[in-house]
Amino acid sequence: MDAGRPLFIPVLLGTSRQGRMSLPVAKLMVAELSGRAGIETELIDVARMPLPIDDAGEAIKDPTFSAQMNRADALVVVSPEYNHGYSGLLKHALDSCLKEYIHKAVGIVGVSAGPFGGTRGIQDLLPVLRELGLVTIFWDVNFSTVQSVFDESGALRDHAYLPRIDKFLKELIWMARTLRHGREHVALE
Amino acid sequence: MAAETKPMICPSCGVEMNRHAEKLVWPTAPADRALVDPLLGGILEELHTCPACGTGGSRRGHGKARPRPSRSHKREP
Repeated sequence: MDAGRPLFIPVLLGTSRQGRMSLPVAKLMVAELSGRAGIETELIDVARMPLPIDDAGEAIKDPTFSAQMNRADALVVVSPEYNHGYSGLLKHALDSCLKEYIHKAVGIVGVSAGPFGGTRGIQDLLPVLRELGLVTIFWDVNFSTVQSVFDESGALRDHAYLPRIDKFLKELIWMARTLRHGREHVALE
Repeated sequence: MAAETKPMICPSCGVEMNRHAEKLVWPTAPADRALVDPLLGGILEELHTCPACGTGGSRRGHGKARPRPSRSHKREP
């Protein structure tokens, strides 16, 4: 099934906060994706997206982000938990597209300074992703007390995360392949 | 609900695209309101993908204006 065409699975970093600890998480996810055969990826940083704040939704669609989402077969969302929710800028960015997402897979990587690994933000994000037409997988990755997971240079200290990321990505890639086949070959009755 | 039957052709490679989804979207501009399907309460967007190259495309499912419903319909604020 389309073995010749690589899957494109970008990583969306969902915060612009200064000193954000989600950045090493997003870079780790890009590295783990890059090492897999047949996968292309890149980091999409909401802090670098030219999104105005005097309007919202598809009216502020950024052509670059739209093209990346059109090309994508799946998406990894790195979502830090702020005050028990996901970041406002992440929602602002996600809302700028719609048809680009339909029948594509998404997996969420939660990040928190506390012990729960962004789970509350993830739970809030799930219905939003569903309404956008994305298909969520049942694996998450949860980075708890993230400040202790990476060293000062951004290198991973706790290698127990790697097998969890492997399970997460295997499920995401399976879903991405399956949904690509569906988009391209299975007609809506 | 009769969907648009004319196939969508891939702008990249000329192959007939696969219609794989219909998504109900909400009118946000005044001009969109005339396209609202009175039974579904929103605008039906068809999603198509090329089986040869993976290019995606979309179009409004019915391709023509429908009368606005007399009852109120669900809208995003």
